[in-house]
Amino acid sequence: MSTMVQSEARSRAWRLWLTSGPGLFWIILFLLLPSGIMLGIAFFTNSDFGSPVLPLSLSSFSQVAGFGILGWTSANFTVLIRSLLQAGIATTMTILLAYPLVFFIVSRPANLRPVLLLFAIVPSWTNQVVRTYAWMQLLNPFAPVSHLAQSLGLIPPHLGLMPGNFAVFIGLTYNYLPYMVVPLYAAVEKLDWTLVEAGRDLYASGPKLFFNAVFPQTVPGLLSGIILVGIPAFGDYVVPQLLGGDKAMMLGSLIASQFTFSPDWPYGAALTIIMLVFTCIGLVVFRRLTQRLGGGEGAML
Amino acid sequence: MSASVSAKRGAISLTGITRIFAGTIPAVDHIDLEIQAGEFFTLLGPSGCGKTTLLRMIAGFEAPDEGRIVISGREMQGVPAHKRAVNTVFQSYALFPHLNVEQNIGFGLKMQGVKAAERKKRVDAIMDMMQIGQFATRSAAQLSGGQRQRVALARALVNEPEVVLLDEPLSALDAKLRAELQIELLRMQKRLGMTFVFVTHDQHEALVMSDRIAVMSKGRIQQVGPVLDVYEKPKNVFVAEFLGLSNIWAFEPVSAHEARTAIGVLNIGENLTGPGMAMIRPEKIWLYSDNAFEAGRPNMFLGKICEAIYMGASTQYRIELQCGQFLTAYDTNNQAAERSWRPGEAVAVELKPENIMLVEA
Amino acid sequence: MSNIPRGIRRGLFGVSLPVYALLYLPLSVIAIFSFAPSLHHPGVNLAAYGELFNDATVLAALRRSITLAFGSAILGTALGTLMGFGLSRFRPAKGGGFWVGALPSLIIYTPIIMPSLVFGISELIFFNLVHEYTGLLSAGLLTMGIAHVTFQSPYVALVVYARLTGLDPNLFEASHDLYANPIKSFLYLTIPVVRPALIGGFLLAITLSIDDFTISFFTAGPGSVTLPIYIYSAIARKGSSPEINALGSLMIATVIGVALLYYFVTRRQQQRSRQIPAVA
Repeated sequence: MSTMVQSEARSRAWRLWLTSGPGLFWIILFLLLPSGIMLGIAFFTNSDFGSPVLPLSLSSFSQVAGFGILGWTSANFTVLIRSLLQAGIATTMTILLAYPLVFFIVSRPANLRPVLLLFAIVPSWTNQVVRTYAWMQLLNPFAPVSHLAQSLGLIPPHLGLMPGNFAVFIGLTYNYLPYMVVPLYAAVEKLDWTLVEAGRDLYASGPKLFFNAVFPQTVPGLLSGIILVGIPAFGDYVVPQLLGGDKAMMLGSLIASQFTFSPDWPYGAALTIIMLVFTCIGLVVFRRLTQRLGGGEGAML
Repeated sequence: MSASVSAKRGAISLTGITRIFAGTIPAVDHIDLEIQAGEFFTLLGPSGCGKTTLLRMIAGFEAPDEGRIVISGREMQGVPAHKRAVNTVFQSYALFPHLNVEQNIGFGLKMQGVKAAERKKRVDAIMDMMQIGQFATRSAAQLSGGQRQRVALARALVNEPEVVLLDEPLSALDAKLRAELQIELLRMQKRLGMTFVFVTHDQHEALVMSDRIAVMSKGRIQQVGPVLDVYEKPKNVFVAEFLGLSNIWAFEPVSAHEARTAIGVLNIGENLTGPGMAMIRPEKIWLYSDNAFEAGRPNMFLGKICEAIYMGASTQYRIELQCGQFLTAYDTNNQAAERSWRPGEAVAVELKPENIMLVEA
Repeated sequence: MSNIPRGIRRGLFGVSLPVYALLYLPLSVIAIFSFAPSLHHPGVNLAAYGELFNDATVLAALRRSITLAFGSAILGTALGTLMGFGLSRFRPAKGGGFWVGALPSLIIYTPIIMPSLVFGISELIFFNLVHEYTGLLSAGLLTMGIAHVTFQSPYVALVVYARLTGLDPNLFEASHDLYANPIKSFLYLTIPVVRPALIGGFLLAITLSIDDFTISFFTAGPGSVTLPIYIYSAIARKGSSPEINALGSLMIATVIGVALLYYFVTRRQQQRSRQIPAVA
């Protein structure tokens, strides 16, 4: 009798693979397999032309750790810390900007909200190079903003706000602000205002009311936002490349240069593993936190 | 089970139907059932009893693991849903969101290849009959619950199927609308003469609408029969309790017509062959004031009203007998009623032998 | 919402207005600079645009960008729609074990979560190796397209999946019940009800393709310079120029246009075929 059940389950599974199979296979073939290969390359030795050759070794990892022909340098370590810091600061900034923006949007009539949200997102749909280029125009040494900063004594004369760490921070914040706004908006839109009303009786002051009755309800959205901003900001390539310069180099540029100007694939792959490890740590921490706080994830597949 | 009966258009014959979901206990367990052509048949039971699964197998959405389904004399094994002359009214109505009312109703005809002119004629006719013509071009989202229900019904009926399956179609409506639509459904069924198989968990709805009822529990049919039989002569405790309130006691026979129960010795009309359960419906209990009590008269007991719940046409009393046992009785509030009682008043109750039924545990 | 006190609402407005301004400031700066007067052309100056439309390199890059965006979006939408459709219809409601339950989701989320740089470099290495050993897939528009489809299809799948799981599951049974065989049901029910998601997914795929730089950069070949890559190398070569400002402005205008189109199309579709509220 259970053969019927089995054959039914089999026909379902068969249809599942028939429809979803091609797309899943595509992703496996053109992303999972390639990234697997790349991770493997980290364990090869670098040839004179930058391509991986045998024998297998861990030399690329000692290179990552800062050991070279000339002894140990802290350069890679600095780049890693700088990337983490930049991502952290930019994420914090997007949170500070997104909260008032999102509450402003929900304080407007329901039919206006989609448009207001759309206006907050549209800039992120333009090409990242164009967006970043726009900030180059605004922050370069000849731009009015730089003149202002020079006359205020914030930066030395004849230098601009760009290139440098400050410009990278601005660029990252600008680039990823919408990725904070969207999940936060989703959380705030379905906020249970009766809880806020109830809280109004308990907590006299505004900030207390916010942190006890409103903020906890937005935490799931906030966590999604932190992931959506933090991970790509940490691994960003365009912004530090165009706005950063040598002294503001981030992990992304370091990795990319191992595949472009001075090829060293095993070293580049080993650096990429470092990036992936930090990405995965971020994701795992986020999942744990979301589970603990019981946040729903919307229409998750 | 004569072949000529089940070969009639609209007759359904189920033999040994079993359905098991992923290795758990059967949702439907060896069900044999004959549904006659043109009757209003109800599958009644609590949620999870397998009634909807049974309906889905008749519709062809699911295949039985065992057993045969024969509709209008045709074996249904391997016949997919779209080739069965059976239409379903879903609990959620399942109206197509991308189509308006008219197009929703005409969907089945279109899929069968009925020409546009003919289709229009039939859709218009059914919309007239259901009084939904004025909504023809509205989308389903713009309709009220009752209107959606009518559209869902029209969408099934317009195909003139052999059998109409209704899966709790009224459960989302408020009480008044529900009562209206119950009557409308019945009228439609009688007028069109199609077989209706109706699934509900509401015993009152089942009693109002059905020609015959099958009471289901745990994947099995507990009792099948005309409404009156099932209500008045429930086969077992489950059926008795599911179809309204009842007073039930275990008994030991004292003689062929006398049984010892927790409230005392009862005279019972039926022949007693061994220990069992005796049941009486609350409305079959006679209530008198205590001075009408005759000591020694069989099946008469003294008691005290503990609770009186006024329900309009009748009042429900909870009575504590002198032996300490409780029973529930209804008394109608019509003019012929002797009077009504208040909590604390002493009363006499009489359980007439012919009203006491034997039921299985 | 009226629950927010008046004073705070004013405050929110006061903070949000500058944020909106900040969002559009850089974009408008590019647009203004693109019309900036130069030595030979005082006043509003369209010279940069003129140069742009006579620059064969730019026009070729534009052509490649459009080819890439539409080509990859068509395939990405097809694969993504099938994935979203299959997972919403044929995956068991609960569990299904690792292979059927969890694995497809993991695969679909990988391109979305993976940092673009890791994505791009993985592809670079893979295509290089494939080309080295088989002679196929030399870096160019084809490899870029393959990479674009890889990140577009998961997003499309999510959009389609969300639409289909938001529907009454009985709809599909109702169509079979009303004499539609599987093919007719797909044509007369599935396609029309997922159409808004399909259009939305396609426009999203185009936007994603136009927006991307990092992955394109690492999968491009010498003969497949698209607009973003052209701009990037132009910046690297000579910093800012009126021509790049003009090009940037046009790209911004296009994206805003597509965004508005996407918004209005989906909104109209949603209004027309609003989902029937589920009945308890």
